[in-house]
Amino acid sequence: MAMIELHNVTKDYGERRGIFNINLSIETGEAFGFVGTNGAGKTTTIRHLMGFLKPNNGTVKVKNLDAWDDAAEIKQWIGYIPGEIAFPDVSTGWDFIHQQAELLHVTDLSYANQLIERLQLDPSANIKRMSKGMKQKTAIVVALMADSPILILDEPTTGLDPLMRTEFIQIIKEEKANGKTIFMSSHMFEEIEETCDKVAMIKEGKIVAITPISIITSNENQRFIIEFCNEQECSRFIQEKFDSISISHTTVSINIENNTLNEFLSILSTYQFDNLTEQKHTLQEQFYNLYAGGQSND
Amino acid sequence: MINGTIFKQTLRANVKLWLIFTIVLTLLQVVMVAVFDASTLADVSHLVEGTPLAGLLGQSTLLSMLASTFYSIHGVIFPIIYIIMTANSLIASQVDRGSMAYLLSTPTKRSTIIVTQAFYLIVALVVMFFIETVAGLITIQVFQSETDIMVADYVMLNVGLFLLMFAISGISFFFSSYCNLTKNSLAFGAGIPIAFFLFQLLSSVDDSLNVLSYFTINALFDTTAILEGENYWWKLIILLGIGIVLYIASLEVFKRKDLPL
Repeated sequence: MAMIELHNVTKDYGERRGIFNINLSIETGEAFGFVGTNGAGKTTTIRHLMGFLKPNNGTVKVKNLDAWDDAAEIKQWIGYIPGEIAFPDVSTGWDFIHQQAELLHVTDLSYANQLIERLQLDPSANIKRMSKGMKQKTAIVVALMADSPILILDEPTTGLDPLMRTEFIQIIKEEKANGKTIFMSSHMFEEIEETCDKVAMIKEGKIVAITPISIITSNENQRFIIEFCNEQECSRFIQEKFDSISISHTTVSINIENNTLNEFLSILSTYQFDNLTEQKHTLQEQFYNLYAGGQSND
Repeated sequence: MINGTIFKQTLRANVKLWLIFTIVLTLLQVVMVAVFDASTLADVSHLVEGTPLAGLLGQSTLLSMLASTFYSIHGVIFPIIYIIMTANSLIASQVDRGSMAYLLSTPTKRSTIIVTQAFYLIVALVVMFFIETVAGLITIQVFQSETDIMVADYVMLNVGLFLLMFAISGISFFFSSYCNLTKNSLAFGAGIPIAFFLFQLLSSVDDSLNVLSYFTINALFDTTAILEGENYWWKLIILLGIGIVLYIASLEVFKRKDLPL
């Protein structure tokens, strides 16, 4: 059963701003990544999932309930991190956590305490004086503490330092292992690659690609960049039977099929070269291709 | 309908402002009642005779003096400022800042939020005017025990003032619910009540400006009618009606609008 379903969702703000004909389906237990440039429509889409915005057209369903009409009902299953963190007028982090716990009908704060410890958060601090990272950690604790089956996370790692980002990714992996359905937007391709099963790319309010992460990261081809010692070596290498392109006088980019990897290495060992780097097929690469290419499927 | 958690938080965040305004309003009332002296006032009215200020002073009983001072200036503008600040912070500023997202990310209905916040604003005004009225009555007993006061008229002046504030709070609360930006909420939610106040003030200063009283709901709080026993009930009922309609409208617009959270 699809946990979250967007069907032909359009919200037109005029001047080509907004989202147009969005179709997405997120299965139970699936981790779904959502990437796009600033202003592409990520947050607008998420606001529809939360029932903050009413679509001009189309339907948004969460567990088969309409996200607008039954906005309060669906929240019992949703943990949410907003894209912009602005806390209510309370004094400390604890005040805020306790207030949200009451509103979420959470009585057992043991999971919240566990998260606080893992994220090294000090909730006794004055909430207005918290750093960006501290605020983000507080938001993460509040979103996860109810152990909700659906997590909607709008750029959840903004402001976190690299150590905390790693910890957060670990937490998300555990949530996923516990069967949570996760919808996460992000600028950080690595964290989407590490946590998500599928990724959708949005450009100018339209979905331009929905791809399983496994296809993006594993590939039958591998690409290497080789830097030779001199031009002679380089031009000699180009004569070899490999599918290679020279990038400069001494550098070559080469595509190798996985089953010819050994052969490639033994031939390469007869050459004088300075540097060999593997270029991963990453989400980032695909992202750049899609955005630079300008192909959209409308 | 009313959420205890939200109410507690609203109370905690707003009680200081409420306390300051309640104290100032009550002190003003107490001082004005305490210092009243019919003979001094007669001297003053003699002094300003023939100037536009004469209209402001009117007759020289305690209640008529209060009617032309406290119940048309201080007692009106202070609660208006309180209402403007509070109404905006209850809804619009939370939408503008984005903190409303946290209330709405829980299984809390939009209508529950509006009803809870409106309830706070109304209760705050009821308690504010209750304290002011009781303090005024006590001061009358202590300082003006020889003066002949119609207690029923005094109470009706306060009921009327409260109903005027109820209607005005409806205006400010409506724009707080309707607008997503604090600046818009304040432009209307503060602009309209202050314009009404100024229209009423100007119309009472000079007869040539009397026409302005047709453009302000403050004229519906008719102190002269209350003190002279004319029929004032329908005016107060209109004020009550304006308030009720605006609070219901606030609920309906907030339920239906897009929230940029």
